[in-house]
Amino acid sequence: MTMNPWILHLMKRLFPPQVLLPDIIGIDIGLTIAAIAAIVFLTKTKRWGWLWREWITTVDHKKIGIMYLLAALVMLFRGGVDALMIRTQLIAPHQHFMSAQQYDEVFTTHGTVMIFFMAMPMVFALFNAAVPLMIGARDVAFPRLNAISFWLFAFGAILLNISFSIGGSPDAGWMSYPPYSELMFDPGVGENYFLLSLQVAGIGTIATGINFLVTVLRLRAPGMTLTRMPIFAWSALITSSLILFAFPPLTVALGLTMLDRIFGASFFTLGHQGMPMMYANLFWIFGHPEVYILIMPPFGIFSEVVPTFSKKPLFGYEAMVASLLAISILSYGTWVHHFFEMGAGPGVNSFFGLSTMLIAIPTGVKMFNWIFTMWGGRIRITVPMLWQLAFVPTFVVGGATGVMLATVPADYQYHNSYFMIAHFHNVILGGTVFGLLSGLYYWWPKMFGWKLNHRQGVWACLLFVVGFWLTFMPQYFLGFQGMTRRMSSYPPGLGWTALNFWSTIGAYVMGVGFLIMVYNIIWSRIHPDWDTTGDPWDARTLEWSLPSPAPEYNFARIPQVHSRDEWWEMKQEGRTDEVKISEKTVHAIHMPRNTPMPVLLALAFFVGSIGMVFEWFWLAILGGLGVVAALAYGSFANYSEKEISRDTILQTEAQLGRLES
Amino acid sequence: MDNQQQLPPPGPTGHGDEVEVRILTPHIAQPHFPTMQVTGYGLSLAITLIAFAMVAYHWIGLDTLVTVLVVMAFIQGALQLGIFMHLREAKGTLWHLPVLALALFIGIGIVGFSMWIMLFKSGVS
Ligand code: HEM
Ligand SMILES: [Cu+2]
Repeated sequence: MTMNPWILHLMKRLFPPQVLLPDIIGIDIGLTIAAIAAIVFLTKTKRWGWLWREWITTVDHKKIGIMYLLAALVMLFRGGVDALMIRTQLIAPHQHFMSAQQYDEVFTTHGTVMIFFMAMPMVFALFNAAVPLMIGARDVAFPRLNAISFWLFAFGAILLNISFSIGGSPDAGWMSYPPYSELMFDPGVGENYFLLSLQVAGIGTIATGINFLVTVLRLRAPGMTLTRMPIFAWSALITSSLILFAFPPLTVALGLTMLDRIFGASFFTLGHQGMPMMYANLFWIFGHPEVYILIMPPFGIFSEVVPTFSKKPLFGYEAMVASLLAISILSYGTWVHHFFEMGAGPGVNSFFGLSTMLIAIPTGVKMFNWIFTMWGGRIRITVPMLWQLAFVPTFVVGGATGVMLATVPADYQYHNSYFMIAHFHNVILGGTVFGLLSGLYYWWPKMFGWKLNHRQGVWACLLFVVGFWLTFMPQYFLGFQGMTRRMSSYPPGLGWTALNFWSTIGAYVMGVGFLIMVYNIIWSRIHPDWDTTGDPWDARTLEWSLPSPAPEYNFARIPQVHSRDEWWEMKQEGRTDEVKISEKTVHAIHMPRNTPMPVLLALAFFVGSIGMVFEWFWLAILGGLGVVAALAYGSFANYSEKEISRDTILQTEAQLGRLES
Repeated sequence: MDNQQQLPPPGPTGHGDEVEVRILTPHIAQPHFPTMQVTGYGLSLAITLIAFAMVAYHWIGLDTLVTVLVVMAFIQGALQLGIFMHLREAKGTLWHLPVLALALFIGIGIVGFSMWIMLFKSGVS
């Protein structure tokens, strides 16, 4: 049988040798079986309509938050498997668990997935779950845009995640520096996947930034002045403004690289007067604020968790806000510390070295604020609090090694060594991820209506933290001994063997911690410990004045705010009946209707991106037309809101026991 | 009139029960052809193309080129803000000033710093 040469060509492009490795094919088969099982399950239980109506077309921030959270956990699993593959390769000298090429693909995917498709959506999950509720709003400012953001993220994530089985993974690192990422050195579609997936998800991220900026500024309940706002809402406000300024440079850097790769431009190429270093500059104008985008929300989470579990108001609220603002401004003036070695003059390097060290000051202020909040408080060691206690030492070490890296002459030694790897894992894992997991355990009852089992949560946390220290402490010493990042194997006899071995063991321990966390979630789902009070932690802010989970409209009556920690004050002053409603005080509520437009828009982006990745321009144009069509439909469709009548509200609230007697 | 968006009452926290009622209603209260928007769109496309052509086809020397590009960038920014971002249309325009100042500060900072950083004689480019 002769094969049509066109089809042969297509098959070669879709399935180059690098995706035909036995383990990848194994994963492909596994995923296909899982997908078929899911489809059969949904069909058998007749859940398609439910899925479409309740989730895919929803514009409810609470549901969007849940979808973000589940997606982020799946991505944490994927990125974690990549990490374990990396560590397995490095457990001993001269290992050949993976080829060098595959190793490159795995660490690139690991970094990209963890930053853009795990940490960012987990941040947005908690924003969506908590911010509107804690400021007394019925939804975010632009609910439909919120759904658009989610679906753009979701399809961006799918785009990156299919690359390993269709066409080939990107392999130029999570920052994809040219000239290596240019066509000349890195042919194939992998880098195109990287560029397009981040671009699509990035549009969604910018939209989320705008959404929460407006939500926090405009939708606060009456009486909630900026200085009465919970710190988590402050961190959402500041993170959003950072997003707004930081993501456009990334968009530009990715866009120009795409023009280079697909349309033969030479912005960052070696030839034709291209300037590869300009990419590094643009990337880190984004990249450094990005790491603060990732750490601000955990700062906010801890500022809710610590007062709640210490039974004390936050120490130094004003200092906390001021230091958040200071960090956000300073974080724009430090980006050169990622490329001191590029060759800029001593003036440039000294300036940016100093500005980097300055950031440690407001960060230190916050540490003292949390510690003084705990001081003399009645501390309850719950799982969210445990993550916070684990965070304090890890983040102090991460910050201190950051200041070491900011010392320019020393950075000539540390740069791109395992010392730097250990630094940023200390702050991102020990800071961002610990913080997000703390928030996950804290707000879980509010999102789902049931609590996560305490004992299992403690085990997950302890194993994770022990594994964390075991993994990254040795890496500082590996850095001192000259091991550089991104080595796919190393020879024996350099004194690296034992350190690498223990580092890998630590990674496995963290893996076990993660599995226990998943078990914790599933077990607690099967044996739910229902939260009937709506306030399982005896907490302080408005979201805990609502039932868990909150009804669709959140607040039957928008509360009037008199102080910081309004719910706590209500409880102290015996005013909790204020949240109840009666026949007289209830009004009909108008809420936005579900719409399929967001998911269709994101699907069109996805189709167009596939066209760009494989340079099938007809498909790219088709996708582009789809985007225009979805936008046109969105502009002209009739958005009459649905009305939730007084009777429905009275009924719902009566069932929740929230009618005035 | 039913389709018209109700502006929220002014003030930082002036948000009672009335606004979320109109949360998604688009603003389609323009009876006439949007001449200004179409002109603005055409102009911004033209500026982009001219800038691209100037660089690609070496119309003018490097020194003047940078100046011309910076000037054009400012015109482009003003077009976007004035026509598409409704800078002059919303109530409480004074509120925009600090935000605009911040944006300008960061924008100029990024461009200025980048030029300073990239000034060194690089062996690569
Ligand atoms: C006291 C605060 C901090 C200081 C002084 C600091 C300083 C530095 C410096 C100088 C580098 C560059 C090292 C090199 O490439 O040679 C670096 C890398 C890095 N830092 Fe920090 N940092 C701080 C906090 C953080 C935080 C809070 C995060 C994230 C949550 C973070 C994430 C990163 C990442 C991801 C990298 C490396 C990226 C890469 O090359 O792949 N840092 N830090
Ligand atoms: Cu940085």
